[in-house]
Amino acid sequence: MSSLIKSLLRSIGVVLVVTFATFALMYGNAPGIAQSVLGLSASPESIQQKIMQLGLDRPLLVQYWNWIAGVVTGDLGRSYYTSESVSKALSNRVPVTLTLVLMTLGLTAIFSVLLGVFAAVKGGWIDRVVQWLSVLGTAVPGYVIAIVLVFAFAVMWRLFPATGYVPPHRNLTQWFMSLVLPVSALLIGAVAGVATQIRSAMLDMLDRDFVRTLRARGIDERLVLFRHVLRNAAAPGLTALSLTMIALLGGAVFIELVFALPGMGQLANASAQISDVPMVMGTVLVTIVLVLATNLLADIGVALLNPKSRS
Amino acid sequence: MSIGTPQFISRLVTTAGVTAIMVAGSVGAVAGKELLTLGATLDMYGWNPGNQPGYQNWAAEAVWGNLVKCNSVGGLEADMAESWEVSNGNRTFTAKLRPDLKFSDGSPVALEDVKASFEFLTTSGRGADYEDIEFEMPDAQTISLSWPEPQPILNNKICSANILPMTVLAAGNWDVPIGSGPYVLDDGATTTGSEYVFKKNSDHWNASDYPYDNLVIKVITADGAAVSALTTGQIDATLVAAGSLETVKAAGMEVIQFLGQTPRLIISDRTGAKIPALGDVRVRQAMNMVFDKAAMAEHLYLGNAEPTAQVYRKGTAAHIVDLEDPYPFDVEKARELMAEAGFADGFELEFPTMTGQNFETLLPYVRQQLALINIRVTEVPLSGANAISDLLSGKFPVVLWQLGNDGNSAFQIYVESTVDGWWNLQHVGNEFIDGRWVKIATASAEESAALQQEINRYVVDEAWFAPFVYMGSTYAFNPEKVSIPTQSDAEALTPKLRDFQ
Repeated sequence: MSSLIKSLLRSIGVVLVVTFATFALMYGNAPGIAQSVLGLSASPESIQQKIMQLGLDRPLLVQYWNWIAGVVTGDLGRSYYTSESVSKALSNRVPVTLTLVLMTLGLTAIFSVLLGVFAAVKGGWIDRVVQWLSVLGTAVPGYVIAIVLVFAFAVMWRLFPATGYVPPHRNLTQWFMSLVLPVSALLIGAVAGVATQIRSAMLDMLDRDFVRTLRARGIDERLVLFRHVLRNAAAPGLTALSLTMIALLGGAVFIELVFALPGMGQLANASAQISDVPMVMGTVLVTIVLVLATNLLADIGVALLNPKSRS
Repeated sequence: MSIGTPQFISRLVTTAGVTAIMVAGSVGAVAGKELLTLGATLDMYGWNPGNQPGYQNWAAEAVWGNLVKCNSVGGLEADMAESWEVSNGNRTFTAKLRPDLKFSDGSPVALEDVKASFEFLTTSGRGADYEDIEFEMPDAQTISLSWPEPQPILNNKICSANILPMTVLAAGNWDVPIGSGPYVLDDGATTTGSEYVFKKNSDHWNASDYPYDNLVIKVITADGAAVSALTTGQIDATLVAAGSLETVKAAGMEVIQFLGQTPRLIISDRTGAKIPALGDVRVRQAMNMVFDKAAMAEHLYLGNAEPTAQVYRKGTAAHIVDLEDPYPFDVEKARELMAEAGFADGFELEFPTMTGQNFETLLPYVRQQLALINIRVTEVPLSGANAISDLLSGKFPVVLWQLGNDGNSAFQIYVESTVDGWWNLQHVGNEFIDGRWVKIATASAEESAALQQEINRYVVDEAWFAPFVYMGSTYAFNPEKVSIPTQSDAEALTPKLRDFQ
């Protein structure tokens, strides 16, 4: 329990450091931000008025403190450009990205375990497919795979929509169909990475003495593989999955662009380009919380799987 | 038939295929003609009425009305005002509001709302344009807006005001738009940043000119995605990159080629304050002569452009129909001019660049051609919040930019050539232009056109710019769903909402 509290405190520290660093990097552009908000025709007077209105004339620490105080009360501010509430924007965007990432992650876990285990145990063509997939997934960027998928399955065969996202509460079937291609585009690279990790871990475990002992005792091979070998090999796999989750958050930016999905990546990208500080801070905050939560969950998972790591 | 047999697998694949096609069919199904679905290559700017660019802003056109609308050459068209008059030496605009107009929240449109809407613009980027207005309301339907000085771009100022209820403006709540436009936002069906859904405002005074019962605007920023969405029927119309022209045509789409931009060198340091050579007109003329405009139109713009020697669009008041290019492509002549001016060795230039300005196409050619007269160009990428203020700061003596050629050429003169114009980067006054600008403010249409053409000829002779071609955007649409018989956009970048029929 104490290690969990320590992890939480560390996480809060990381959140503060990262958000302050982000805030500081964007600080000092007050006239530029005001000019961008008001447009090309803005007069010096209206720029100065906008600076005051947005509070950009205040010192860095005051601005950051105001932002943190807002975060604590659940107020992330409003976009400088659209006046949209950041919380509302994130509540629309985060579910899209999380759906994309978690669906990909779940499928990655299933396919990676299956492929990794079979590649390690059976060898032969399955092993070669996994290795080939690994090279393909590493070498070909997700957005290229996405473009190929769109051309084949949306433009040529019209099986799935080429773009767009339908919220599940509006139409469950359309929601599912709108995610098939984006998830597939992310899945290939993700499976490639995790499956090879699981394959390597399985091969490592299969050479261990305890496996030989189990087999010598005549225990069913399936029990040996899935109860003992896979459980011991799962920790590296889980770590690889947590890293994949973080990588997927980055990869989603491009996939959201190709499929015109209204996710957090698009929002972060667009906001950063125009220095929409409240929006950037909101997306950074959510991203860092997601990353830290993933790491924490991975640590807990590894601890549950491997009692030795608890110490 | 057992699981795993070829027959079972065959049936499974067939069933899965049919199911997939049925489901996909329901996903891709296009609704009837009552629906117009437009692709937008950029998201909208929210619902603050004072911060609404014209480019692809069908959402703003949908929800808000204006007193009058500007047409493709800056003239006025009826909207909330059923009649209007410009008087008092171009100082006063008097409008008579239509009776029984209502906002989308059900409240009646009152003159106080019109007044508040113009007053609200004093807080916008163009606040200075609206600061000194005096309002008069002689009766319940009539309002006069008066400026202390004659207004050369009065039309533009009137058209730019979106009319909202004064209570909404006072509250400053921009979550849901309230207006009296031809459509009403369906907030529940809208996904901000992705899909904006509107229903027709059947109470709109001109509902018959907006034939679609429902309007959907889908934000699709990547060109490839926009093309896929158009060719698979997810959207009815969108801007596409010139490189995608053949793809969309092959898919049966029709294309409108807008020529709303004139990419050019803006030679702003004409006094030679930063680079003395630029103060010599011969150097500026030489810079014009190193560009083979016909070759640029054909190769850089793939034939979707027209060579030009002037920056004002065809059909505008300032455009000179029979203007011959005084600076035909002639590198030897350009070198002679540089030598005559005493700058045969050339000079260094820094060009600011930003994404979205087609620099990947333009800059290599421009840099190479200027090098022929020993003008050495280095690129200074601008990004982030300071990009625009850096660009407009005047610190760059020459800027390479795809500047618009507005249908209201007086507005273009104001923006580019008068001392206050934001694209007159050094903000240096000029007696010839400023004198004529004052006259334009009170001139008749014919006199104004003559004065504008004098200004045009002057900036050509003085080589204020080095224009290359008229070019612009490529707008593709599905002719089975949409027709676009008119073009109302003064910026000539996309159709306006009222152009979709």
